[in-house]
Amino acid sequence: MKIQPFGDKALLVSFEKRIDPEINQQVIDLYHTLKASSHFTFLTPAYCSLTVGIDRTLYTISEGTELIRKLASCPPTNQVAYNREVTIPICYEEEFALDMKEVSRMTGLSADEIIEKHSNTQFRVYMLGFVAGFAYLGTLPEELVCQRKHTPRKSVPKGAVGLAGHQTGIYPVNAPGGWQIIGQTPVDMFDSRREEPNLLFPGDTVKFRPISVDEFKLIALKQETGIYSMEATHG
Amino acid sequence: MASTFKIHIAKPGLFTTLQDLGRVGHQDSGIPFGGAMDKESHKIANELLDNPHSTPTLEMTLVGPELRFEGQGQIAITGADMNAELNGQPAPMYKTIDVKDGDQLVFHHAKLGCRTYVAARGEWQGTEWLKSYSAVANLLNVEGVPGMLKAGSTIDIQTTTFIAHRNYPDSLRPLFSSCYILRVITGPEFEQFDIDQIQSFFNTIYKISPDSNRMGYRLEGSIENYQPKGEEISSAIVEGTIQVTSSGQPIILTADAQTTGGYPRIVNVVSEDLSIVGQMKAGDEVKFMLVSLADL
Repeated sequence: MKIQPFGDKALLVSFEKRIDPEINQQVIDLYHTLKASSHFTFLTPAYCSLTVGIDRTLYTISEGTELIRKLASCPPTNQVAYNREVTIPICYEEEFALDMKEVSRMTGLSADEIIEKHSNTQFRVYMLGFVAGFAYLGTLPEELVCQRKHTPRKSVPKGAVGLAGHQTGIYPVNAPGGWQIIGQTPVDMFDSRREEPNLLFPGDTVKFRPISVDEFKLIALKQETGIYSMEATHG
Repeated sequence: MASTFKIHIAKPGLFTTLQDLGRVGHQDSGIPFGGAMDKESHKIANELLDNPHSTPTLEMTLVGPELRFEGQGQIAITGADMNAELNGQPAPMYKTIDVKDGDQLVFHHAKLGCRTYVAARGEWQGTEWLKSYSAVANLLNVEGVPGMLKAGSTIDIQTTTFIAHRNYPDSLRPLFSSCYILRVITGPEFEQFDIDQIQSFFNTIYKISPDSNRMGYRLEGSIENYQPKGEEISSAIVEGTIQVTSSGQPIILTADAQTTGGYPRIVNVVSEDLSIVGQMKAGDEVKFMLVSLADL
């Protein structure tokens, strides 16, 4: 664990520079420990780093560093379970799978094979970023790895499920983006009206469940009515 | 006696939003820091009315709006000079101004600087999300999140008492120009750059690209002979982070930047200079000066 200044109001805690579930879990454990302490202005967990906001009216940069080291060395014993298993319904049908042909061409797999591999992989939420609620999920099976689009779309629809490199992710709102779109979820990944606007959190395990266009419409309707409940269990 | 003071937006200007101090503390959810781009001017405007710094202000960009007031109130104008006119007469900046029912305040365009702030005395009502009134650049049309002010928008402010007029001393007011020097400290990936690239970065006078907004300022010009050293694993961004794209072009990340990014972070603008960034506009020139964190 290396701690260095990041700007004049934050510290960057770096772990081994690798995308790896265990390293990411260290990030998330430290994130929860520091969050519970309420000493810091903000926390941004990423794949293998945690950025910690320091209130410079209270601490110097070196005091902040010491505080993080001290808290990291004695994590609370009664950590609540925060890693959940979440199932997200995805419609991979043609009308939503905007880039399925391109992905087929790049991977040499048929649409059915792509769907089968994507929906049979357990993904981990490594971090949130990009736009509010965008979860970076890994790790994509090697056979599905493909490049981003050369020219990003001006607007990717809300709920679109994309591939980029070894990652997959869901657009929480309409946003520009270059990920290869292979489906769409009717579930609101982000809703500003919810007390916790985001559906996913770092450390969650995610599986995708293929659904038909009809079920997509049904879930969308349930969401609008407020009677949809997320398919999740606490692990 | 409490009364309601209203600001009606007759014409919205180029890009006018409500801004306050933003949403520091929600970055773990991927939500940008947000808030006024020039927080100094935002704070001064509120101080002229004895409001807390967290009270929103109108942030106007390059071309200002036309406002009409309903009821009596007190306002203050700070930041870039947009030649504001109150009922056809020049409106003073950096002073408490009394306005009355039916008064019209018209802003023109900013010659120097980019953003103008209007504060109003009292408690602002309206759409709040995660304890902030700030609009977010990439969530402008998302339900429940404050968005852009449009013609016909109205802001309600509960006013209680009026205060004696205040004046922000001439000698303390920021001066805007079209070329700036920003102080920076080394960023997390500073040492990945070789000395020639670092010298090139600090020797270059960059022009602000027209493709700049509340999320970031793209700089025209690039580090000579820049070759990215493989892919970075995405990590956090803070306000003022300067990252270098694969083509060697630097980007200054500002209030509404995404919370994480994958380009190397060469340096970071010091917090005190971030308000200057908020006043830079396309075509302005900027150069960087390396300082030590210990000297701040």
